[in-house]
Amino acid sequence: MADQSASARIGGYAAAVLAISQAEGVQAEVEDELARFAEALRSSDELQSTLADASIDVERRLRIVEDLLGGKALPATAALVSLVVGAGRGGELAEIIDATIDRAAAGRNRRVARVRSAVELTGEQRSRLTEAIKASSGLDVEIQAIVDPSVVGGVITEIGDDVIDGSVRSRLQQMRAGLS
Amino acid sequence: MARKTLRLFATLGAASAVLLAAAGPAGAAGETIGGCVLEQVHHAEEEYGSLGAVEADEKAFKDFEADLEGCVEAPSPILPELDEIIWGGLAFVILFGFMWRWGFPAVKRAMDARSEKIRSDLDAADAAKTDALRTKSDYEAQLAEAKTAAAAIIDDARAQADQLRQDLQARAEADIAEQRARAAADIESSRRQAIDDLRNDVAAIAVGAAERVVGASLDAGVHRSLIDGYIDEVAAGTSAGNGDGS
Repeated sequence: MADQSASARIGGYAAAVLAISQAEGVQAEVEDELARFAEALRSSDELQSTLADASIDVERRLRIVEDLLGGKALPATAALVSLVVGAGRGGELAEIIDATIDRAAAGRNRRVARVRSAVELTGEQRSRLTEAIKASSGLDVEIQAIVDPSVVGGVITEIGDDVIDGSVRSRLQQMRAGLS
Repeated sequence: MARKTLRLFATLGAASAVLLAAAGPAGAAGETIGGCVLEQVHHAEEEYGSLGAVEADEKAFKDFEADLEGCVEAPSPILPELDEIIWGGLAFVILFGFMWRWGFPAVKRAMDARSEKIRSDLDAADAAKTDALRTKSDYEAQLAEAKTAAAAIIDDARAQADQLRQDLQARAEADIAEQRARAAADIESSRRQAIDDLRNDVAAIAVGAAERVVGASLDAGVHRSLIDGYIDEVAAGTSAGNGDGS
Protein backbone atom coordinates (compact mmCIF):
# COMPACT_ATOMS: atom_id res chain seq x y z
CA MET A 1 0.00 0.00 0.00
CA ALA A 2 2.84 2.34 0.92
CA ASP A 3 4.70 1.36 -2.27
CA GLN A 4 1.63 2.09 -4.37
CA SER A 5 1.21 5.45 -2.68
CA ALA A 6 4.88 6.33 -3.23
CA SER A 7 4.69 5.19 -6.88
CA ALA A 8 1.60 7.31 -7.47
CA ARG A 9 3.25 10.28 -5.80
CA ILE A 10 6.42 9.89 -7.88
CA GLY A 11 4.31 9.56 -11.03
CA GLY A 12 2.40 12.73 -10.15
CA TYR A 13 5.56 14.74 -9.63
CA ALA A 14 7.03 13.33 -12.87
CA ALA A 15 3.92 14.35 -14.82
CA ALA A 16 4.13 17.84 -13.36
CA VAL A 17 7.81 18.22 -14.19
CA LEU A 18 7.24 16.90 -17.71
CA ALA A 19 4.28 19.23 -18.25
CA ILE A 20 6.27 22.23 -17.09
CA SER A 21 9.23 21.37 -19.31
CA GLN A 22 6.88 20.90 -22.27
CA ALA A 23 5.16 24.16 -21.47
CA GLU A 24 8.52 25.91 -21.37
CA GLY A 25 9.43 24.28 -24.71
CA VAL A 26 12.69 22.89 -23.37
CA GLN A 27 11.70 19.29 -22.80
CA ALA A 28 14.70 17.63 -24.41
CA GLU A 29 17.22 19.90 -22.70
CA VAL A 30 15.51 19.56 -19.37
CA GLU A 31 15.44 15.77 -19.72
CA ASP A 32 19.13 15.69 -20.47
CA GLU A 33 20.04 18.02 -17.60
CA LEU A 34 17.81 16.15 -15.18
CA ALA A 35 19.41 12.85 -16.20
CA ARG A 36 22.86 14.27 -15.50
CA PHE A 37 21.71 15.67 -12.17
CA ALA A 38 20.23 12.28 -11.23
CA GLU A 39 23.54 10.65 -12.13
CA ALA A 40 25.42 13.10 -9.93
CA LEU A 41 22.88 12.58 -7.18
CA ARG A 42 23.30 8.77 -7.24
CA SER A 43 27.07 9.09 -7.13
CA SER A 44 26.99 11.19 -3.94
CA ASP A 45 25.41 9.75 -0.85
CA GLU A 46 26.11 12.98 1.04
CA LEU A 47 24.17 15.04 -1.51
CA GLN A 48 21.25 12.60 -1.42
CA SER A 49 21.07 12.62 2.38
CA THR A 50 21.38 16.38 2.56
CA LEU A 51 18.54 17.04 0.12
CA ALA A 52 16.39 14.41 1.88
CA ASP A 53 17.15 15.56 5.45
CA ALA A 54 14.03 17.25 6.79
CA SER A 55 15.98 18.56 9.79
CA ILE A 56 17.96 20.84 7.47
CA ASP A 57 16.24 24.11 6.71
CA VAL A 58 14.49 24.14 3.32
CA GLU A 59 16.13 27.44 2.37
CA ARG A 60 19.53 25.90 2.89
CA ARG A 61 18.67 22.86 0.77
CA LEU A 62 17.32 25.13 -2.03
CA ARG A 63 20.52 27.17 -1.82
CA ILE A 64 22.50 23.96 -2.38
CA VAL A 65 20.39 23.22 -5.47
CA GLU A 66 20.94 26.75 -6.72
CA ASP A 67 24.68 26.43 -6.13
CA LEU A 68 24.79 23.20 -8.13
CA LEU A 69 22.56 24.18 -11.06
CA GLY A 70 22.52 27.96 -11.08
CA GLY A 71 24.20 29.17 -14.28
CA LYS A 72 25.05 25.60 -15.27
CA ALA A 73 21.60 24.42 -16.29
CA LEU A 74 18.46 25.93 -17.71
CA PRO A 75 16.43 28.01 -15.24
CA ALA A 76 13.55 25.61 -15.84
CA THR A 77 15.69 22.66 -14.79
CA ALA A 78 16.83 24.39 -11.61
CA ALA A 79 13.29 25.53 -10.88
CA LEU A 80 11.90 22.03 -11.28
CA VAL A 81 14.54 20.50 -8.99
CA SER A 82 13.90 23.27 -6.46
CA LEU A 83 10.18 22.57 -6.74
CA VAL A 84 10.68 18.94 -5.75
CA VAL A 85 13.20 19.66 -2.97
CA GLY A 86 11.06 22.53 -1.64
CA ALA A 87 8.08 20.18 -1.46
CA GLY A 88 10.11 17.98 0.88
CA ARG A 89 10.62 15.19 -1.65
CA GLY A 90 14.39 15.46 -2.00
CA GLY A 91 14.71 11.78 -0.98
CA GLU A 92 12.68 10.74 -4.04
CA LEU A 93 14.28 13.20 -6.46
CA ALA A 94 16.24 10.57 -8.43
CA GLU A 95 13.15 8.37 -8.83
CA ILE A 96 11.05 11.39 -9.93
CA ILE A 97 13.65 12.28 -12.56
CA ASP A 98 13.74 8.69 -13.84
CA ALA A 99 9.95 8.61 -13.97
CA THR A 100 9.93 11.92 -15.84
CA ILE A 101 12.34 10.60 -18.48
CA ASP A 102 10.44 7.33 -18.80
CA ARG A 103 7.15 9.20 -19.13
CA ALA A 104 8.63 11.52 -21.79
CA ALA A 105 9.97 8.57 -23.78
CA ALA A 106 6.65 6.80 -23.46
CA GLY A 107 5.06 9.91 -24.90
CA ARG A 108 7.22 9.31 -27.92
CA ASN A 109 6.31 5.61 -27.98
CA ARG A 110 9.76 4.69 -26.83
CA ARG A 111 11.43 3.28 -23.77
CA VAL A 112 14.50 4.52 -21.99
CA ALA A 113 17.63 2.40 -22.09
CA ARG A 114 20.00 3.49 -19.32
CA VAL A 115 23.45 2.63 -20.56
CA ARG A 116 26.38 2.66 -18.13
CA SER A 117 29.92 2.63 -19.36
CA ALA A 118 33.33 3.56 -18.00
CA VAL A 119 33.85 6.03 -20.86
CA GLU A 120 31.33 8.13 -22.69
CA LEU A 121 29.66 6.53 -25.71
CA THR A 122 30.15 8.14 -29.08
CA GLY A 123 27.19 9.15 -31.19
CA GLU A 124 27.89 6.32 -33.54
CA GLN A 125 27.96 3.84 -30.68
CA ARG A 126 24.63 5.15 -29.37
CA SER A 127 23.03 4.74 -32.77
CA ARG A 128 24.40 1.27 -33.21
CA LEU A 129 23.32 0.26 -29.70
CA THR A 130 19.82 1.63 -30.39
CA GLU A 131 19.61 -0.41 -33.53
CA ALA A 132 21.05 -3.47 -31.85
CA ILE A 133 18.45 -3.33 -29.05
CA LYS A 134 15.67 -2.94 -31.59
CA ALA A 135 17.06 -5.83 -33.61
CA SER A 136 17.29 -8.13 -30.62
CA SER A 137 14.17 -7.13 -28.65
CA GLY A 138 12.02 -5.18 -31.10
CA LEU A 139 11.93 -2.17 -28.75
CA ASP A 140 12.39 1.42 -29.81
CA VAL A 141 14.58 2.92 -27.11
CA GLU A 142 16.18 6.21 -26.26
CA ILE A 143 19.68 5.93 -24.90
CA GLN A 144 20.34 7.60 -21.55
CA ALA A 145 24.11 7.34 -21.34
CA ILE A 146 25.68 7.37 -17.88
CA VAL A 147 29.43 7.43 -17.33
CA ASP A 148 30.19 5.13 -14.39
CA PRO A 149 33.87 4.34 -13.71
CA SER A 150 32.86 1.41 -11.49
CA VAL A 151 31.87 -0.43 -14.66
CA VAL A 152 35.64 -0.61 -15.39
CA GLY A 153 35.07 -1.57 -19.00
CA GLY A 154 32.28 -2.61 -21.34
CA VAL A 155 28.61 -1.62 -21.01
CA ILE A 156 25.58 -2.27 -18.79
CA THR A 157 22.18 -1.57 -20.31
CA GLU A 158 18.98 -1.33 -18.25
CA ILE A 159 15.59 -1.23 -19.94
CA GLY A 160 13.03 -1.16 -17.17
CA ASP A 161 13.70 -4.27 -15.15
CA ASP A 162 15.77 -5.90 -17.90
CA VAL A 163 19.54 -5.74 -17.62
CA ILE A 164 22.09 -6.60 -20.30
CA ASP A 165 25.42 -6.77 -18.49
CA GLY A 166 28.59 -6.84 -20.59
CA SER A 167 30.84 -5.05 -18.13
CA VAL A 168 34.32 -5.95 -17.00
CA ARG A 169 33.07 -5.37 -13.45
CA SER A 170 30.62 -8.24 -13.69
CA ARG A 171 33.34 -10.49 -15.15
CA LEU A 172 35.58 -9.63 -12.20
CA GLN A 173 32.73 -10.31 -9.80
CA GLN A 174 32.14 -13.67 -11.42
CA MET A 175 35.84 -14.43 -11.10
CA ARG A 176 35.79 -13.42 -7.45
CA ALA A 177 32.74 -15.60 -6.84
CA GLY A 178 34.57 -18.48 -8.46
CA LEU A 179 37.60 -17.99 -6.29
CA SER A 180 35.62 -17.65 -3.04
CA MET B 1 -16.39 -82.44 108.47
CA ALA B 2 -18.87 -83.85 111.00
CA ARG B 3 -16.84 -87.02 111.46
CA LYS B 4 -13.77 -85.01 111.98
CA THR B 5 -15.53 -82.96 114.67
CA LEU B 6 -16.82 -86.06 116.46
CA ARG B 7 -13.38 -87.61 116.47
CA LEU B 8 -11.99 -84.40 117.91
CA PHE B 9 -14.59 -84.31 120.71
CA ALA B 10 -14.02 -88.02 121.49
CA THR B 11 -10.33 -87.43 121.85
CA LEU B 12 -11.00 -84.52 124.18
CA GLY B 13 -13.40 -86.69 126.33
CA ALA B 14 -10.87 -89.53 126.61
CA ALA B 15 -8.16 -87.16 127.73
CA SER B 16 -10.44 -85.67 130.40
CA ALA B 17 -11.36 -89.12 131.72
CA VAL B 18 -7.73 -90.14 132.03
CA LEU B 19 -6.99 -86.95 133.92
CA LEU B 20 -9.92 -87.44 136.34
CA ALA B 21 -9.00 -91.05 136.99
CA ALA B 22 -5.39 -90.29 137.70
CA ALA B 23 -6.09 -87.34 139.97
CA GLY B 24 -4.95 -87.71 143.68
CA PRO B 25 -7.55 -87.66 146.51
CA ALA B 26 -6.14 -84.99 148.77
CA GLY B 27 -2.83 -83.91 147.52
CA ALA B 28 -4.13 -81.20 145.48
CA ALA B 29 -1.54 -78.89 144.48
CA GLY B 30 -1.52 -75.70 146.58
CA GLU B 31 -3.36 -77.29 149.80
CA THR B 32 -1.34 -77.18 153.06
CA ILE B 33 -0.97 -80.18 155.38
CA GLY B 34 -2.35 -78.22 158.33
CA GLY B 35 -5.39 -77.20 156.36
CA CYS B 36 -5.91 -80.79 155.35
CA VAL B 37 -5.59 -82.00 158.95
CA LEU B 38 -8.07 -79.41 160.19
CA GLU B 39 -10.43 -80.37 157.44
CA GLN B 40 -10.15 -84.06 158.45
CA VAL B 41 -10.70 -83.15 162.08
CA HIS B 42 -13.81 -81.15 161.28
CA HIS B 43 -15.00 -83.92 159.06
CA ALA B 44 -14.53 -86.56 161.86
CA GLU B 45 -16.23 -84.34 164.48
CA GLU B 46 -19.21 -83.78 162.13
CA GLU B 47 -19.45 -87.49 161.43
CA TYR B 48 -18.79 -88.84 165.01
CA GLY B 49 -19.68 -85.85 167.12
CA SER B 50 -16.16 -85.54 168.74
CA LEU B 51 -12.62 -86.81 168.51
CA GLY B 52 -13.23 -88.83 171.62
CA ALA B 53 -15.93 -90.77 169.84
CA VAL B 54 -13.49 -91.48 167.08
CA GLU B 55 -10.96 -92.84 169.53
CA ALA B 56 -13.58 -95.02 170.96
CA ASP B 57 -14.48 -96.58 167.72
CA GLU B 58 -11.50 -98.61 166.48
CA LYS B 59 -12.64 -98.64 162.88
CA ALA B 60 -13.39 -94.98 162.85
CA PHE B 61 -10.07 -94.30 164.40
CA LYS B 62 -8.25 -96.29 161.68
CA ASP B 63 -10.18 -94.45 158.96
CA PHE B 64 -9.33 -91.17 160.69
CA GLU B 65 -5.68 -92.18 160.77
CA ALA B 66 -5.79 -93.09 157.12
CA ASP B 67 -7.32 -89.73 156.27
CA LEU B 68 -4.63 -87.91 158.20
CA GLU B 69 -1.94 -89.94 156.53
CA GLY B 70 -3.54 -88.91 153.26
CA CYS B 71 -2.94 -85.29 154.23
CA VAL B 72 0.72 -86.08 154.85
CA GLU B 73 1.14 -87.59 151.35
CA ALA B 74 2.91 -85.26 148.88
CA PRO B 75 0.90 -83.87 145.89
CA SER B 76 1.51 -85.39 142.37
CA PRO B 77 4.14 -83.41 140.45
CA ILE B 78 2.45 -84.32 137.18
CA LEU B 79 -1.30 -84.65 137.69
CA PRO B 80 -3.21 -81.57 138.87
CA GLU B 81 -6.08 -81.59 141.16
CA LEU B 82 -9.50 -82.60 139.83
CA ASP B 83 -11.03 -79.17 140.09
CA GLU B 84 -8.12 -77.66 138.24
CA ILE B 85 -8.60 -80.26 135.57
CA ILE B 86 -12.30 -79.44 135.36
CA TRP B 87 -11.80 -75.67 135.22
CA GLY B 88 -8.85 -75.96 132.99
CA GLY B 89 -10.69 -78.39 130.72
CA LEU B 90 -13.75 -76.17 130.72
CA ALA B 91 -11.66 -73.14 129.85
CA PHE B 92 -9.91 -75.13 127.24
CA VAL B 93 -13.21 -76.31 125.75
CA ILE B 94 -14.58 -72.76 125.77
CA LEU B 95 -11.43 -71.39 124.29
CA PHE B 96 -11.38 -74.21 121.79
CA GLY B 97 -15.00 -73.50 120.92
CA PHE B 98 -14.21 -69.84 120.38
CA MET B 99 -11.21 -70.74 118.36
CA TRP B 100 -13.22 -73.31 116.41
CA ARG B 101 -16.05 -70.89 115.79
CA TRP B 102 -14.16 -67.68 115.02
CA GLY B 103 -10.42 -68.11 115.36
CA PHE B 104 -9.79 -71.00 113.04
CA PRO B 105 -12.01 -69.61 110.24
CA ALA B 106 -10.27 -66.24 110.53
CA VAL B 107 -6.89 -67.92 110.47
CA LYS B 108 -8.07 -70.12 107.64
CA ARG B 109 -9.38 -67.11 105.73
CA ALA B 110 -6.13 -65.30 106.37
CA MET B 111 -4.17 -68.35 105.24
CA ASP B 112 -6.48 -68.78 102.26
CA ALA B 113 -6.13 -65.11 101.45
CA ARG B 114 -2.42 -65.40 101.92
CA SER B 115 -2.34 -68.51 99.73
CA GLU B 116 -4.56 -66.80 97.20
CA LYS B 117 -2.34 -63.75 97.29
CA ILE B 118 0.74 -65.90 96.89
CA ARG B 119 -0.99 -67.79 94.08
CA SER B 120 -2.06 -64.57 92.47
CA ASP B 121 1.42 -63.17 92.96
CA LEU B 122 2.83 -66.31 91.44
CA ASP B 123 0.32 -66.02 88.61
CA ALA B 124 1.17 -62.37 88.22
CA ALA B 125 4.84 -63.26 88.30
CA ASP B 126 4.20 -65.95 85.72
CA ALA B 127 2.19 -63.48 83.67
CA ALA B 128 4.89 -60.88 84.09
CA LYS B 129 7.46 -63.46 83.15
CA THR B 130 5.35 -64.44 80.15
CA ASP B 131 4.94 -60.79 79.25
CA ALA B 132 8.63 -60.23 79.75
CA LEU B 133 9.39 -63.23 77.56
CA ARG B 134 6.87 -62.01 75.01
CA THR B 135 8.33 -58.50 75.21
CA LYS B 136 11.78 -59.97 74.88
CA SER B 137 10.62 -62.01 71.92
CA ASP B 138 8.95 -58.97 70.40
CA TYR B 139 12.03 -56.91 71.09
CA GLU B 140 14.24 -59.55 69.53
CA ALA B 141 11.86 -59.77 66.58
CA GLN B 142 11.83 -55.99 66.25
CA LEU B 143 15.57 -55.93 66.62
CA ALA B 144 15.91 -58.56 63.93
CA GLU B 145 13.42 -56.68 61.77
CA ALA B 146 15.28 -53.44 62.43
CA LYS B 147 18.53 -55.13 61.52
CA THR B 148 16.93 -56.49 58.37
CA ALA B 149 15.46 -53.09 57.55
CA ALA B 150 18.78 -51.41 58.29
CA ALA B 151 20.53 -53.89 56.06
CA ALA B 152 17.94 -53.28 53.36
CA ILE B 153 18.32 -49.52 53.74
CA ILE B 154 22.08 -49.83 53.60
CA ASP B 155 21.84 -52.04 50.53
CA ASP B 156 19.37 -49.64 48.95
CA ALA B 157 21.56 -46.66 49.79
CA ARG B 158 24.58 -48.47 48.41
CA ALA B 159 22.63 -49.33 45.26
CA GLN B 160 21.46 -45.73 44.93
CA ALA B 161 24.98 -44.50 45.49
CA ASP B 162 26.24 -46.89 42.83
CA GLN B 163 23.47 -45.81 40.48
CA LEU B 164 24.18 -42.15 41.22
CA ARG B 165 27.87 -42.71 40.68
CA GLN B 166 27.16 -44.46 37.40
CA ASP B 167 24.76 -41.70 36.35
CA LEU B 168 27.28 -39.02 37.25
CA GLN B 169 29.99 -40.90 35.47
CA ALA B 170 27.78 -41.39 32.42
CA ARG B 171 26.75 -37.75 32.50
CA ALA B 172 30.33 -36.64 32.90
CA GLU B 173 31.36 -38.87 30.02
CA ALA B 174 28.47 -37.54 27.95
CA ASP B 175 29.43 -33.96 28.83
CA ILE B 176 33.03 -34.67 27.96
CA ALA B 177 31.97 -36.26 24.69
CA GLU B 178 29.65 -33.36 23.96
CA GLN B 179 32.36 -30.85 24.81
CA ARG B 180 34.79 -32.75 22.64
CA ALA B 181 32.28 -32.83 19.80
CA ARG B 182 31.51 -29.17 20.29
CA ALA B 183 35.18 -28.33 20.42
CA ALA B 184 35.78 -30.40 17.31
CA ALA B 185 32.84 -28.68 15.61
CA ASP B 186 34.15 -25.29 16.71
CA ILE B 187 37.59 -26.17 15.47
CA GLU B 188 36.15 -27.39 12.20
CA SER B 189 33.95 -24.31 11.91
CA SER B 190 36.87 -22.07 12.73
CA ARG B 191 39.02 -23.94 10.24
CA ARG B 192 36.39 -23.60 7.55
CA GLN B 193 35.80 -19.97 8.47
CA ALA B 194 39.52 -19.33 8.33
CA ILE B 195 39.72 -21.09 4.96
CA ASP B 196 36.73 -19.11 3.68
CA ASP B 197 38.19 -15.89 5.01
CA LEU B 198 41.52 -16.73 3.48
CA ARG B 199 39.85 -17.65 0.22
CA ASN B 200 37.85 -14.42 0.24
CA ASP B 201 40.93 -12.45 1.07
CA VAL B 202 42.83 -14.19 -1.70
CA ALA B 203 39.93 -13.62 -4.07
CA ALA B 204 39.69 -9.98 -3.06
CA ILE B 205 43.40 -9.52 -3.48
CA ALA B 206 43.36 -11.34 -6.81
CA VAL B 207 40.35 -9.47 -8.09
CA GLY B 208 41.72 -6.19 -6.80
CA ALA B 209 44.96 -6.90 -8.54
CA ALA B 210 43.06 -7.93 -11.63
CA GLU B 211 41.02 -4.72 -11.48
CA ARG B 212 44.17 -2.67 -11.19
CA VAL B 213 45.80 -4.58 -14.02
CA VAL B 214 42.71 -4.40 -16.18
CA GLY B 215 42.08 -0.77 -15.34
CA ALA B 216 45.63 0.12 -16.19
CA SER B 217 45.52 -1.82 -19.43
CA LEU B 218 42.18 -0.38 -20.60
CA ASP B 219 43.04 2.50 -22.87
CA ALA B 220 40.66 4.25 -25.20
CA GLY B 221 41.10 1.67 -27.91
CA VAL B 222 40.35 -1.19 -25.57
CA HIS B 223 37.28 0.62 -24.22
CA ARG B 224 36.05 1.20 -27.73
CA SER B 225 36.71 -2.39 -28.65
CA LEU B 226 34.83 -3.64 -25.55
CA ILE B 227 31.84 -1.38 -26.29
CA ASP B 228 31.76 -2.36 -29.95
CA GLY B 229 31.95 -5.99 -29.07
CA TYR B 230 29.10 -5.53 -26.56
CA ILE B 231 26.96 -3.82 -29.23
CA ASP B 232 27.64 -6.65 -31.64
CA GLU B 233 26.65 -9.22 -28.98
CA VAL B 234 23.42 -7.33 -28.23
CA ALA B 235 22.64 -7.22 -31.94
CA ALA B 236 23.29 -10.93 -32.20
CA GLY B 237 21.24 -11.54 -29.07
CA THR B 238 24.12 -13.37 -27.34
CA SER B 239 25.10 -10.86 -24.68
CA ALA B 240 24.86 -11.94 -21.08
CA GLY B 241 21.69 -10.97 -19.35
CA ASN B 242 21.23 -10.18 -15.70
CA GLY B 243 18.16 -9.44 -13.69
CA ASP B 244 14.58 -10.39 -14.46
CA GLY B 245 14.81 -10.03 -18.24
CA SER B 246 17.19 -11.11 -20.96
